[in-house]
Amino acid sequence: MKVTVKRWHAVAQWRWDTQTSNDPQDNDDDDDDEGNVCGICRIPYEGCCPACKMPGDDCPLIWGECTHVFHLHCLLKWLNTPDSKQQCPMDRRTWQTAERKVPVINRA
Amino acid sequence: MASISAKRLAKELKEIQTEGCPVGVNLLRADDFQTWLFSIEVMGESLYKGEVQTLQFRFDSNYPISSPAVQFLVRENEGIRAPIHPHVYSNGHICASILGTEWSPVLSVVAVCVTLQSMLASCKKKERPVDNDRYVLHAPENPKKTQFHYDDDTV
Repeated sequence: MKVTVKRWHAVAQWRWDTQTSNDPQDNDDDDDDEGNVCGICRIPYEGCCPACKMPGDDCPLIWGECTHVFHLHCLLKWLNTPDSKQQCPMDRRTWQTAERKVPVINRA
Repeated sequence: MASISAKRLAKELKEIQTEGCPVGVNLLRADDFQTWLFSIEVMGESLYKGEVQTLQFRFDSNYPISSPAVQFLVRENEGIRAPIHPHVYSNGHICASILGTEWSPVLSVVAVCVTLQSMLASCKKKERPVDNDRYVLHAPENPKKTQFHYDDDTV
């Protein structure tokens, strides 16, 4: 049988690399699990913060040295208040933004 | 556009409605995203056995970045009073650090309810704060406007 592809439709999916478990084997049925949402707005990392309309590079995440992750805009709103005392909302340690190491993709 | 508080509170409300409240905590009213009422009861043996308190939350549009204004509801004419506790003033205002300087936007309405429930549960002696009369006389309507001093680490 000979098949001719006349048209194709590509579908792609993306997610932030939060280093949390994204393994379906490892994750029970809850996708809205605390591990995958911004602790401040409770919206999934792949969604955008409540002030934005489009997820993606315009509404990125921010990583702390303490390993906690938030929507950048949510965390900045918090750190811009005097009440935050510049602390991470999760562990109250002084917030230090972590340098994100882009993992080297093995091209071999 | 809906405020950040409305989006976050809608999520919290949905969670309460699907998963229920912790034991001893019940949602009484959440008709809008400004004021919510809960009943709080300490389960098991405690100085507050048999008492049911009403807790009022008021949110501004910046919640959870800004803390909610939380107090016990007082309606003298209906016989609703604040529990007698060393950190609870007779006007319902509560001296608890997580409602003030130790607030964090990762906390939630239910987390606050549970904290205040355990504050009552661990009480050793039913008494008003020593400065109750002086405070209540001049207290602002909104407890968030009060700068409390937290001198007891046990709650």
